[in-house]
Amino acid sequence: MIVCKSPREIEQMRRANALVADVLAELAGMVAPGVTTADLDATAERLVRAAGAEPAFKGYRGYPATLCASVNDEVVHGIPANRALVEGDIISLDMGVKLDGFYGDSAVTVPVGKVSDEVERLLRVTREALQKGIAQVRLGGRVSDIGHAIQEHVEAAGFSVVREFVGHGIGAQLHEEPQIANYGEPGRGPRLAEGMVLAIEPMVNMGRPAVKVLRDGWTAVTRDGSLSAHFEHTVAVTKNGPLVLTERSAAPVS
Amino acid sequence: MKVMVEGTVIEGMPHGLYRVGIAPEREVVAHTPSGPGKNFIRVLVGDRVKLELSSRDLTRGRIVAKI
Repeated sequence: MIVCKSPREIEQMRRANALVADVLAELAGMVAPGVTTADLDATAERLVRAAGAEPAFKGYRGYPATLCASVNDEVVHGIPANRALVEGDIISLDMGVKLDGFYGDSAVTVPVGKVSDEVERLLRVTREALQKGIAQVRLGGRVSDIGHAIQEHVEAAGFSVVREFVGHGIGAQLHEEPQIANYGEPGRGPRLAEGMVLAIEPMVNMGRPAVKVLRDGWTAVTRDGSLSAHFEHTVAVTKNGPLVLTERSAAPVS
Repeated sequence: MKVMVEGTVIEGMPHGLYRVGIAPEREVVAHTPSGPGKNFIRVLVGDRVKLELSSRDLTRGRIVAKI
């Protein structure tokens, strides 16, 4: 069952999501060579709690941290550790919070210092793919239109889309129906209706799409060791088209 | 287009179907192969399995191997 939210609930969700966006912008500014992912996690938790919210990932099925920090070939769910970032790395910051009963969820991938042109292109294509996916959010459209648009854009650029992990509905639960794959044929799955709130999150690999989960049970890495980027926005379906709830103020709107 | 992924069997359901978790936010209903020329796979809750997903119905899959 897909839960549709009233305009008032969407307004509440916007506050949770704006907090995520602000914290992520703060963390993205902190990213520099020498900073450890544990530092980022500690800052994230402090900022989230200071705003009166709760980290959504901490304790979720036993996940130990506030932030998912996935470096280089790590796709998602990287557990923060005493690992210092090195110039030329890319790091994906994925975080969720619970504020006033509603969840917010967003992710961004940022370069550490200067990265090569090809890596820049990976980040740009992933960000554009998310934009293309969001552009498919309209009344009467279908869920798989989103994934189709993302896949088309990514594969045209010569990269590949991760199949195992999907976007999801979000609201009073962190993960709700529907599942939003980042691939597939258009025109399938449930129709989009007013009040649905969706977390759209393309994960793009430079090489092959295959991933595996490490022994810690969380960290997903690409099988071929290629770099992977990940962007996520929480979007509400409204009469006037997509309403991005995780708008950032500091970074350019991605 | 077929997609191969790995998952863990969460629950057995009626009609030889299984609920399989692929990722924390991803769950599909999968069946084991049947009919001539197919290998019979006996699956228990908790088994790691390899499954094939269709790009047409994203909530369904077929278990093709135990790992």
